[in-house]
This record gives sequence, C-alpha cells and structure tokens, in this order.
Amino acid sequence: MHCKKYDIPENLFYDTNDFWIKVNGEEAVVGMTDYGQSNTGDILYLELSRAGEIFKQGDKFGSIESGKWVGNLTAPLSGAVLDSNNELERNPRKVNIDAYGEGWMYRIKLSDPNELKSLMACREYAAWVAEQETSEEEKG
Amino acid sequence: MDLYNLGEVSWWESQCFYHALAHLGREGLIVCYPSSPYVCLGLHDDLDQEIDREYCEKLRIPIFRRETGGGVVYLDSRQVFFQLVLRRDNPQLPLRRYRYYGKFLQPAICVYRQYGVPAEIKAPADIAAAGRKCSGNACGDVGDCVAYVGNILLDFDYAIMSNILKVPYPQFREHLYQAMQANMTTLNDWVNYSVSYDDLSSTLIDEFKMQWGELNPRMPDQELIDKSSEIYQRFTAEEWLGMPGRRYPDRKIKIAEGVVLMERKGQVGTVLDLLATNGRKINAL
Repeated sequence: MHCKKYDIPENLFYDTNDFWIKVNGEEAVVGMTDYGQSNTGDILYLELSRAGEIFKQGDKFGSIESGKWVGNLTAPLSGAVLDSNNELERNPRKVNIDAYGEGWMYRIKLSDPNELKSLMACREYAAWVAEQETSEEEKG
Repeated sequence: MDLYNLGEVSWWESQCFYHALAHLGREGLIVCYPSSPYVCLGLHDDLDQEIDREYCEKLRIPIFRRETGGGVVYLDSRQVFFQLVLRRDNPQLPLRRYRYYGKFLQPAICVYRQYGVPAEIKAPADIAAAGRKCSGNACGDVGDCVAYVGNILLDFDYAIMSNILKVPYPQFREHLYQAMQANMTTLNDWVNYSVSYDDLSSTLIDEFKMQWGELNPRMPDQELIDKSSEIYQRFTAEEWLGMPGRRYPDRKIKIAEGVVLMERKGQVGTVLDLLATNGRKINAL
C-alpha cells in the first residue's frame, strides 16, 4: 500500500513515532518506516541499544542523527532486545535506502503482547500519514 | 515567548541555560555570548577521535558535550549565540526538523545583511556569504522540547580551532587551517569597525519578534539556574564526555556544509583531499 509517495506494507503494525513492527509469535522486528526516514533526511549516525537491554513502551531505546538534527528512538513496545542491526552503525543510510529490509533496527522479545492493541494497522497508519502531510503543507 | 537577552555569561551557562529550558519543558529565546573560550562536542562526536585533550588542558580550554547535533566547535566571546527552545507540540514546528532552519536562521541572515554581508542560507543548516560559512548551527530533540542553536561569528580563531582537533600528522593540521580560512568568513572580514553586542543583539531580537510576536524579556529564575547547574555537572562529567560516538576509518573533518577534509588510505599511500560531500575533489592539497 502507498500513501502519497510513501511505501506502507500491509503485514506490519505501526506507531506514531514512525516505527514499523513485524510480529512473529512472541518476537518482533522493528524498524523506521519509509515516511519516518523521509522526514528524518539522510541519516548520518545511529546509536542502537545492545542485546539484553530491556525497555518499556515509550522509553528511549536509541539515538539518531541526520543533517544537523539529533533525536531519540522511542520503543514502540515493551520488551528485551534480542539483536540489533550492527551493520547500521557502519552504514546508517541503509535505513534511507531499504527501510523495511536491510534497514531493520531491532529484534525484540515482547513482554506485553497486549500493547499490540495500541499500534496501528496499515490503513490507519496511512490515514495518519496523510493527516501529517496535510498539516505540514499548511505550515508551508 | 520568553526572551533572555543575557549578554555575557560564563562559558558553561552559554550551553546550560538552553538545555535547562528544554529539560524543564519551557519555551524561550536566549541571546548571549560566553565570557571565555571552550570546546563543544556534538552529541554523537567521539571525544578521543576528535579532540587533542592535551592541547586543551595546556590552554585550560574546558570541554562540553551538548545534546544537539553537528560536530566539534570552538566557541569564544567573539561569537554571539541565539538559542530557541520550542516544545515539540508547538504548532509552528515542522515534523521535518531541518525545514525549520530556514526560518530559525533568517534573523541572523538579517543581522549579517545589515552590516553589508551577503549572507544566505546554505541548506540544510549553514549560513554562507560569498560561498563561505559564517555561522555554526545545530538542532536536537531535548527533553520534551526541540532546541535550535546558532551563532553569529564576529571573528574566528582558525589557529586555535585547528590545534584543538586531533589530526594524524602536522601537514593535515596545516591543510585544516587553510581549508577553514578558505571556506569560512566572519563579520570582521566585512566591516572595518568593532560591532557591539548591543547593536547586533537588538537587530537579532527585532527579527525574532517579526516571527514570534512580542517577546517577554526576563532573567533566569531560580528554577532555571538550579537546572543549569545540574546540567553543567552532568554534561562535563568524564562519563558523559567520554561516551563513544561515531568513528570513521579515515580521519575526516567537516569544514562547512558540503566541504570535508579527508584522509584516504589507498594502495598508493595516504592521500589528503578537500572534498565536496558528493566525493568530488574541490582542490588538490
């Protein structure tokens, strides 16, 4: 599915911090959406948490820098990091180039599957992106 | 919007007040300059890779790591800072943070133009005059706010800056010095008299008023002072300063937007190049 020029795959969950979440049983793979990477611009540096670190939904679980902007990565779900994509430390632009593939960030062991209810499905996220785009256009 | 036109402040207050505002969730514009020099790392800079600590210690130049982006900068009293803290839910703040630089830097561009400097924005975040960088700027999500920080260069000490940065060999330092001189400019290059802080800050603030309406002048209150002191302790602690950051296989120093001094190791030996960010060689060194 697409919203404007942004790719929004159907089989994923999404949050309003522009993360995609692919759930597989008690585990999930997390990355930044196409819309998220487009807003961020060319990504110059990513600092990801290591395997074993535990987070609650909404906690800072990494840091990102693009052209003169620094921001936090916010955990979309509670859980423990099983694995992080080390390749992104060497080549963070993979998030820009292949957000849903080689640009994945974390594999997580979920601690509260009920939190999935707080996430958006593809269509909801597409509607949210459209709303954000309209708001950005109004700001000029 | 609150306005803190502080004039001269201590070196650490010139960083800690805006961080404190952001961590307290308070919006405001700060205009100030530091009473003494210091080195300021970007959030993701690697101290060991970037800074010659021995040189800094010898000259008693303190080091601070800010929470905003960009690279290492040398800051002193010949630079006027403007720092804008906005809550993340401020309706004027775009999702694409870099898009706000155009608006944020406009007052500084007006100041330069007032003194006859043909300043213009160089995307995403530089101000340039005649193709040379004349302002250092950064931005970051800090607490529940976003902080945009920039400066107006009255003058710049290229020699100290080139000595502060760690380089692999002396020739690299010489080229760094030359590359900065060739790609940077300051007010001092354009006017033959001393520009006063009051004149400069008054124009800067008037221009910010055009964007934000009447500003409410105030001085730092106890809450802000206490938070700043706390931030000073935290952000100059060895643990915070020594945090590992981005590392490059070859030494690489960004001079200005789109201009990088870079050492490249190849089969024929080490080559030192001044490159555009697209990899095009600007000139042979």
